[in-house]
Amino acid sequence: MIHALAQGNARSAGELGRHFNSAQPTISKHLKVLEQAGLVERCIEGRVHRFRLKRKPLQDAGGWIARHQAFWTGAVAQLDRLLSEETRDE
Amino acid sequence: MNEAYAEVRRRFAAAPERVFAAFSDARLIARWLSPSPDIKLSILQFDFRVGGTYRFAYHLPEGEPVIVGGVYRSIQLPSLVVHTWVIEPPDEHAGIESEVTVTITRDGEGTHLHIRHAKLTRADAIARHAEGWHGAMDQLEQLLHSPGLPPAFKETQQ
Repeated sequence: MIHALAQGNARSAGELGRHFNSAQPTISKHLKVLEQAGLVERCIEGRVHRFRLKRKPLQDAGGWIARHQAFWTGAVAQLDRLLSEETRDE
Repeated sequence: MNEAYAEVRRRFAAAPERVFAAFSDARLIARWLSPSPDIKLSILQFDFRVGGTYRFAYHLPEGEPVIVGGVYRSIQLPSLVVHTWVIEPPDEHAGIESEVTVTITRDGEGTHLHIRHAKLTRADAIARHAEGWHGAMDQLEQLLHSPGLPPAFKETQQ
C-alpha cells in the first residue's frame, strides 16, 4: 500500500481499493492505521478523502542519527572539559 | 533498513573510575550530558541500577524542554553502562526506541571511552517483549504452584 501511495498523486480509498481489488472498508482501515502511525496524510476535497505518503518519516533515519551524533559529540566535549577541570582542582 | 547508530570515541587522561563516575553520579552527569553548554540538563529521575529508570529534561533556549528517559539494562563498574533512550512527545523523534552502550577501557594512564547509540530494530523490540513475557510466565507458574494459594485458585487449575 505504501508503494502504491508513493507512485503518484494523492489517491482516494476507492481508487486504492480498485488497484488492490479489495473492498473499500478494508482499505480505509489500513489507511487509518498508516495515518495514525504518521506515515500517510489525509486531504479532504469535498466528500472525497485522498491519501498521500508523508515522505519525511520514512527518510528520517538520517535525521535521527545526525541529531544524536551531534548530541554525543557535544556531550563528550563537555565531559572532556569537566574531567580536565576536576584534575586541575586536585 | 539496516542498523542506524551514532558513535563517538574519545581518549581522556582521567582514570576509568573517574570517567565511569561521570555517568553514575547524578551531580556530575548534569554538568556534561547535553549537546552544548547553553542547553541545560535537569534531572527529573535518576535511579542508576539495572532496571532503574532515568528521566532528563533538556532546556533549550526557546520552546518547551525535550524530555528523554529510559531504563538501565547493564552496569559494570567501571567498564560498561547500557541503557535505553526514548524521547517523549511532542518531538519529531518521540517514541523511537534506542539503546546507548558506553564502554570504558583503561588506555595506559588514561581511559578510552566508546559510546554507541543505536536505534532498536523491530526484531530487538520483539525479543525484548519475549524476554518480558518469559519472565512473567515463569513468575506466574511459580505462583500457581505455591502452597499458599487461596482454594479458589486451585479449583480453577483442576
